[in-house]
Amino acid sequence: MTAWSRRGFLQGLVVGGAGLTLAACGGGQALRIARADRTGDLAASLYITVHATGRVSLIVNKAEVGQGVSTGYATLVAEELCVPIDHVDVHYASANKAMRTSANLQITGGSTSMFEAYVPLRQAAAAAREMLVAAAAQTWRVAPAACRAVDGRVVHGDTALPYGELTRRAARLEVPAAPKLKPASEHTLIGKVDRRVDLRGKIDGTAIYGIDVTLPGMCNAYPIFAPAFGARPTHVAAERARQRPGVIDILAFDWGVAVVAEKLWQARAAARDVAVTWSAGSLGGLDSRQLTTALRAHDAPGNTVTDRGDVAEALAHAEQRIGGTYEAPYLAHAPLEPNNATARVTGDRAEIWAPSQSPTVAQAYVADALGIAMDDVDVHVTLCGGGFGRRALGDACAQAAQIARRVKRPVKLTWSREDEMRLGHYRPIYSAKVEAGVAGGKITGARVRVRSQSILLSGETLVGAVLSQLPEALGRMVSRAGLALFSTNTVGDMLATEGLTNTPYQLADFQVAFEPVQTKLPVLFWRSVGNSVTGFIMESLLDELAVATSQDPFALRRALLPAKSRQTRVLDRLAQVSGWSTPPAPGVGRGMARHFAFETEVAQVAEVVLDGDRLRVRKVYCVVDCGTAVNPDIVRAQMEGGIIFGLSAALDQEITLVDGVVQQRNFDSFPLLRMHECPEIVVDILPSDERPTGVGEPGLPPIAPAVANAVFQLTGVRLRRMPFQRAWRERGAA
Amino acid sequence: MKLVVNGTATEVAVPADTPLLWALREELGLTGTKLGCGAALCGACTVHVDGVPKRSCVTACGDLGDRPITTIEGLATGGVLHPVQQAWLEANVPQCGYCQAGQIMTTVALLAAKPRPTDDDIDAALSANLCRCGTYPRIRKAVHRAAELLAKGAVP
Repeated sequence: MTAWSRRGFLQGLVVGGAGLTLAACGGGQALRIARADRTGDLAASLYITVHATGRVSLIVNKAEVGQGVSTGYATLVAEELCVPIDHVDVHYASANKAMRTSANLQITGGSTSMFEAYVPLRQAAAAAREMLVAAAAQTWRVAPAACRAVDGRVVHGDTALPYGELTRRAARLEVPAAPKLKPASEHTLIGKVDRRVDLRGKIDGTAIYGIDVTLPGMCNAYPIFAPAFGARPTHVAAERARQRPGVIDILAFDWGVAVVAEKLWQARAAARDVAVTWSAGSLGGLDSRQLTTALRAHDAPGNTVTDRGDVAEALAHAEQRIGGTYEAPYLAHAPLEPNNATARVTGDRAEIWAPSQSPTVAQAYVADALGIAMDDVDVHVTLCGGGFGRRALGDACAQAAQIARRVKRPVKLTWSREDEMRLGHYRPIYSAKVEAGVAGGKITGARVRVRSQSILLSGETLVGAVLSQLPEALGRMVSRAGLALFSTNTVGDMLATEGLTNTPYQLADFQVAFEPVQTKLPVLFWRSVGNSVTGFIMESLLDELAVATSQDPFALRRALLPAKSRQTRVLDRLAQVSGWSTPPAPGVGRGMARHFAFETEVAQVAEVVLDGDRLRVRKVYCVVDCGTAVNPDIVRAQMEGGIIFGLSAALDQEITLVDGVVQQRNFDSFPLLRMHECPEIVVDILPSDERPTGVGEPGLPPIAPAVANAVFQLTGVRLRRMPFQRAWRERGAA
Repeated sequence: MKLVVNGTATEVAVPADTPLLWALREELGLTGTKLGCGAALCGACTVHVDGVPKRSCVTACGDLGDRPITTIEGLATGGVLHPVQQAWLEANVPQCGYCQAGQIMTTVALLAAKPRPTDDDIDAALSANLCRCGTYPRIRKAVHRAAELLAKGAVP
């Protein structure tokens, strides 16, 4: 029996039955496709089954976090297999080594899903189609070339056979070595299908998220965490709580206390009667305001990571020096579904159900917590109520597994919103000194010194739990950026300064430096990662330079970008759709920004008005070039989502700490943008035949600088600190 | 105590101060109603009590008596979607989908009170329903579309 079938991670798959199943490897590996009963040494990460019923099952190594991967992958398969898209059922693979196609991780992140699967998934579907056609041709004793596949059937003249009647014969045929893909001109679904395949359950209440999982004999756990980060329980008084109805046990762990009851409502009620004494926290009285002030005053060169021309010389010869300190706070991901996981532990094996962006990482967390091997941890991926990077970790999975082992029953652990906010793994704090010089109306040079916390080198998050077991992941990430791990650069530099180091602007004298900020607050990938701040820095700098050189911000960008590039095509289109050549209405500020991230170019114009003493963004124009837009309406939705997510952060959000305690608790103190604050958003997708690139994240980086630049245009006030509403209120004080 | 949910009276064994959210999810298995904040700040748990949108995370079971409760599961009748749900599909509203039961329940109540809502009406009714994915522009579009469907005589 093969490893994968023993582990049962391929739900919905038929092997050796009446169906036809093909396996293919995805990611960056050389394409190979095989029948699922003859995979040999093929490390397959994609499986397509055509069932005898005619329905198609697709097993993918990604999670649906709302980004639309289910629809995207179903579109690719339906296109090449020539079936209606609603015949395709998408399943999310459980943790498996073969599924690790992204930096040796099985992970949904980095806006990579369509890029990874665009070729292999279509090839596998095309192979299945050719086998079904060949099976029909054999049946009719005609040439395969005389048959064609249409709508889940093979047709020859006026005879037709549905796929379901051909799978048994097709499954005995050889897999074609070079299945032929449809030319783009014959696509009927790619670039055209707009209706998502995952909507029905999401509008009628039947969709099952991690928080909805139930297992036979399952009980529920509610955690009690310390107010201070990293504090451990030293004494637990729970006599009254133990008498509460339904309570099974109250357990102390190094991360906190679990109240375990039959029902979650019983555990939540009993938790009110538990008194816990805590050790000191691990953050040593960290105060984020003091940290911000200290970073502002700090003046050290840092490690140079990009050095073009001679910036010192260029700045020395400037007639005018511009710039300032750009700042961005810690941020929580705040997905709407609170952190949760369900665990069943039997002997030295654990089985986990979780809304996980990375079952590999979840395996590592659980293995570490239970002292068992990663291979003995099964992780089943459920629908995710948002992710944004937070669900790349496995903290709740490890906790649930520890509880399940102690109570000897399956258990679901459900955090509260307050836990989610207070025990996040945050977008790192940033403080960047930006200097640029201007002489004779021209830019002489620019320097950006970034201070931030390094995500990948943070011992609290991925490295400790995962990279020690997966050193290859580190290696690939390093090589991706062409950096050397043991030079003055660190891996953390790459994420902290991405978007600056790879700027497409042709600045002859340009320097980027990085200096890590050391705190023990856990930090993590947050939608668009370093780009969430570097886009703000770079595009505000461009606006400052446009003002200093008396140039139109569009014209200046146009002049500095490579001619006839993705960048200029997007920018030109943006100028068109936003009516840039016409001045904005009185009382309206208009700002422009662009950013290249995840291989996708996005440019935006924001229109800002003053609403009393609040800034209000009333309209956003967005142009995107993401290669082939497989599902154009999902691309639009991701742009809208990225803009709104980015606006929430730019305008209002911050995570602050006092004495090592996160001050925000719920959505009253960590506000999300609301319906009445949401701008009108116009999205324009540039037509392209190129391979699809990322859309989940790249919509976010341009919005903050577009708004800041609009505020400057309207008021003459340069906002260099996020969140902007606070910066705007405190504008006189600084 | 007895709860009347989606037209059916059921006995649930919970103390009177238990929030309705938990009785629905854990006692009746109606998991379409979601926990988002637990403090009436996000609207993910919105259900109807007597046709009025209520935050089930802060509504005590003991306060309900025999007033009818409707959840997202009770909106479609005989497999036929409510016009608001239909409009949600047409506008491709959900991304992660987690908040959408609350958004839809709030919208159904809005349209019952204001069959042709203005954008200001939509702001007033829906600004307390949070969406982290940023589906607001589509929700607005879908609310207008649902109003059209209802005006054309679609049966709620």
